[in-house]
Amino acid sequence: MTAPPPTRAPVRASLPAHAPAKAASPRTSWWMRRQRAVAPYLFISPFYLLYGLFLLVPILVGLYLSCTEWAGLGTPKWVGLRNYQDLLGDHSFWTAVSNTGLYVVFTMAVVMPAALLIAQALNARGLRGRDLFRLAYFMPVVISPIVITLVFGLFFDNEFGLLNAVGHAVFGFGGIDWLGSPGWARVTVVILVLWRWTGYLTIFFLAGLQNVPKELYEAADIDGAGPISRFRNVTLPCLRPVTAFVAVTVLVSSVQIFEEPYLLTQGGPGESTLSVAQFIFRAGFQRQQLGYAAAAGVLLFVAVFALGQLAMRVLGVGRDDR
Amino acid sequence: MTTGEFESTARLTPGARRGRRRVSRALLYTFLIALLLVFALPLLWALSSSFKSRGDIFGYPPKLLPSPATLDNYRGLLDENPFWSWLLISTVVAVISTVAAVLLCALAGFAFAKYRFRGKNVLFNVMFSSLAVPFAVIVVPLFVMLAKAHLTTPYFALVVPWVAPAFGIFMMRQFAEQSIPDALLDAARVDGCTEFGLFRRVVLPLLRPALGALGVWSFLNSFNSLIWPLIVVSDPGDYTLPLGIQALFGATNRQYDLVLAGSVLAAVPSLLVFFLLRKQLLEGLTAGAVKS
Repeated sequence: MTAPPPTRAPVRASLPAHAPAKAASPRTSWWMRRQRAVAPYLFISPFYLLYGLFLLVPILVGLYLSCTEWAGLGTPKWVGLRNYQDLLGDHSFWTAVSNTGLYVVFTMAVVMPAALLIAQALNARGLRGRDLFRLAYFMPVVISPIVITLVFGLFFDNEFGLLNAVGHAVFGFGGIDWLGSPGWARVTVVILVLWRWTGYLTIFFLAGLQNVPKELYEAADIDGAGPISRFRNVTLPCLRPVTAFVAVTVLVSSVQIFEEPYLLTQGGPGESTLSVAQFIFRAGFQRQQLGYAAAAGVLLFVAVFALGQLAMRVLGVGRDDR
Repeated sequence: MTTGEFESTARLTPGARRGRRRVSRALLYTFLIALLLVFALPLLWALSSSFKSRGDIFGYPPKLLPSPATLDNYRGLLDENPFWSWLLISTVVAVISTVAAVLLCALAGFAFAKYRFRGKNVLFNVMFSSLAVPFAVIVVPLFVMLAKAHLTTPYFALVVPWVAPAFGIFMMRQFAEQSIPDALLDAARVDGCTEFGLFRRVVLPLLRPALGALGVWSFLNSFNSLIWPLIVVSDPGDYTLPLGIQALFGATNRQYDLVLAGSVLAAVPSLLVFFLLRKQLLEGLTAGAVKS
């Protein structure tokens, strides 16, 4: 459809009356002729420059560091694969892995369906105040995590928090040690995850629902389908692309979960809420075991990559993309 | 379709049908409003608590409204802490990051959407796969590199490594594909527009809604970020707002009075930006996911 570039050259040469007289120097005309071929490379080059410097190089440095023992001073000491070996035998690491697994399963099995449910409710025909609800639910993501966790502190403080106070007033007991007992601390972290991310995921499902052709629902009505069968046979299949997108995003980001447990409980009590990302942070920046931290980072990378690929295969993300 | 509706609810009189509809509507609104409270109340509670005196914040029984209300927390925060310096650094860093990210992503997204060039698919996949590289993986080596190069000042370390997010490029590409007609580009080329001029004069104006979306997204990301600043910034004089609040919380033995005032003030710019550009943000975020 597009006309071949050469035909345009004469037009262009006659046009720039205001251009400097030397505009037709060999270099400029080369540029004029070639710019359309070169421009895309120039336009994407800043990204690849940054990509190389701040992503590729760190990954390579990380791979190297993961085979060394280093506290940050002097030269790293080469230890081969010992860090990996140590990691596999490190009880803390496995605790972090299983906690992270819990967070991932929770986000996939609870947060995502909850978001879908809310989106479904928001998609009701003729609903008033839809934008207001949508905005309010989205708000937690907009606010700094440090602020969010402080707010949660007000609610979950074991002695004076609002939840225990209300529990005390209403039910006569309020002694739940929300942040101090291993089981409850995990529950609290998970509640924070639910509160912070549900509204965010909701807008994706809602956008997907609004894209479902109305005729399909009408057809289902004609066939006498009830709400449940309508949801199963019309809504879910139409939502597949969005669900796949959300699922992959959620999977990849929840494997890396850090802020919620770190800010709320510092991974404690003990290590009961420690996540893999915080394990890396702790090894690298609190215990100065930079090589060890890098090795854990490499393992996390492998896990995220493998899970991401697996999810993309299973869910068929990008299959209908060009 | 009216017959369909009629058949499926044939046994109900019109009045009963309306009644059932009304009940389900009431349930729906109850559910949505209850959720609204769940999401909004904690924030309102924090707002209210920030006007309570230290002893009242965890007072029993808890009071919804501060009485007596006091501005002491705000005064203490602003008088005894470099709050304005935190805010200034956070804002400057966020604004620089946002402007640069929006421009770089729009450039790259435009190139991926509207040009044919060799290696495009490979380059796009390389770019896209960087989304799956966990932050925790590069954090240690990146910190080591920046520390070795003495580049840990906030204006470099908090801006440059994060200034061209792959997510933004992806979003811009989706948007450019949909909203920039090829004919318009060709017409501008015939008029003697250079390729960069094309970007500046034709593409950027057409991309405006997406620029807004990416702008809010990256402003919020930068303004709210805590972990990376926590790692990189060591000089208290360089603290960003979240860092300052975090440090203050530690320094006051985890007392809530001052940090709540700080939190309220810190949330104001985020919420303001969000409310001003909410439409673009929500639509822009979902554009990539819902593309047909």
